[in-house]
Amino acid sequence: MTAMDFELSRNITVGQYIPTGSWVHRLDPRIKLIVFIGLFAALSLVFTAVPTGLALALIFAIAIAGRIPAGYVLSGLKPALPVLVLLVILQILFRGQSTPGTVVYFQWWIVNINDVALMAIAVGTARIVAFIFLTSLLTMVMTTTELTHAIESVFGPLQRVGVPVRELALTATIALRFVPTLAEELERVMKAQASRLGEIGLRSDWRPDRAARTRLPLIVPLFLTALRRGEDLVLAMEARGYVGGARRNRYVQYHAGPRDWLVLVVGLAFCAALLFVPWPTVPALWAQWVAP
Amino acid sequence: MSLQSSNEGPFSTRNIVLAGVLLAVALVLSLTGLGYFPVPNVAQQATIMHVPAIVGAVLGGPVVGLIVNLVFSFDSYTRFVGGFQWPNAIAPILTLFVSRLAIGVVAWLVYRALKGLNEIVALASAGAAGALANTAFVLGFAISFGVLPVEVIPVVLPQVAFEAILGAVVTVAVVAAYKRLAVGRGGSSV
Repeated sequence: MTAMDFELSRNITVGQYIPTGSWVHRLDPRIKLIVFIGLFAALSLVFTAVPTGLALALIFAIAIAGRIPAGYVLSGLKPALPVLVLLVILQILFRGQSTPGTVVYFQWWIVNINDVALMAIAVGTARIVAFIFLTSLLTMVMTTTELTHAIESVFGPLQRVGVPVRELALTATIALRFVPTLAEELERVMKAQASRLGEIGLRSDWRPDRAARTRLPLIVPLFLTALRRGEDLVLAMEARGYVGGARRNRYVQYHAGPRDWLVLVVGLAFCAALLFVPWPTVPALWAQWVAP
Repeated sequence: MSLQSSNEGPFSTRNIVLAGVLLAVALVLSLTGLGYFPVPNVAQQATIMHVPAIVGAVLGGPVVGLIVNLVFSFDSYTRFVGGFQWPNAIAPILTLFVSRLAIGVVAWLVYRALKGLNEIVALASAGAAGALANTAFVLGFAISFGVLPVEVIPVVLPQVAFEAILGAVVTVAVVAAYKRLAVGRGGSSV
């Protein structure tokens, strides 16, 4: 176990607000939420390389415009590295074996490196990276309070058909506020167990029973810490007169300006283009531009 | 003391907070990788990501279970959508997203049916049933869409058993400790 393995909260970028004061931060939170939802939807529904790459490029562009430190954004990828490695291994082992017409670059026993597998690895990796960056970026450029207000405003019309939008927005806020706290608690439990020579299990172990034995002493305290902190929160909310489902107004009112509307139009047009433009495939682009 | 509230219903203060903190637990399990166990088969990973939803369903009812499961649904979608060949855009959404939403409801139904018999048995059964519902719905959709062959069922059976046992163990450990239920002998034998 190295010292780096304890630094969970540093690598969990979801729920962390980075106040750089950039124009992205100053945008109307409702506009940011709508564009983020559009990007989520587009990323979920595109499966080819070019639109996935374009979506990833836009997410990087938003991070640069928001003056988010590149190292901090990339640190959010660290927990996902085992998943990405696994994706590569399994694609090499299983993809392409049953697909006729593939160009095989290397074959030995069950290992089959071919063009279909390599493309699937590239697109799969780009999608996972894009989803992680997008989720982190949402909270890096918006405070949880802004996010709550944005959710309430954007989904407000659904309240007329009985959807408890305010309560769901509050639930999301509580979840995002608790993520850094629980990550710190988890670090504390890990250090406490390591100091008692306990085996702690964030390492990938191909024997699930062994992994379970080392992880359960972390997982059960994590749940109990969360539930006990929840008790305190219920008491605090009720002491302040909060009642779930009650009608309430709020002090903060948002007014979208020309720049907000421009970002909305450009953002949604980009998402629509990702979904509906017949993008060429990578081999077609290669044949047209690189090897004519 | 358990999460007490003066207001009742699926969106009482208690249930809002319960769903919020369990969503946070699910996010931490996902972001740290603690919720996934690598296994060398076609399913790629065994998971306990369904346990927050099961705990939520047992403590707060099916609506809390459903909300908490949104994290697992979204997380599994982002992780696994790139790993398989899908026949259309709806197939991965149904297989990886919608199918997971049943976990909390199934766990709550099993817990409610067995609670009068024995609380610990009800908790263990709810944990195992939630895990089995997860696998059954995901595999069912994947096989019906032709993403996985029927022959994959015997391959993933050991993993299904592992997830069900782990679901039962964690659910009992968490809920019993939280509700101060007596499990086993208790205390020291010295």
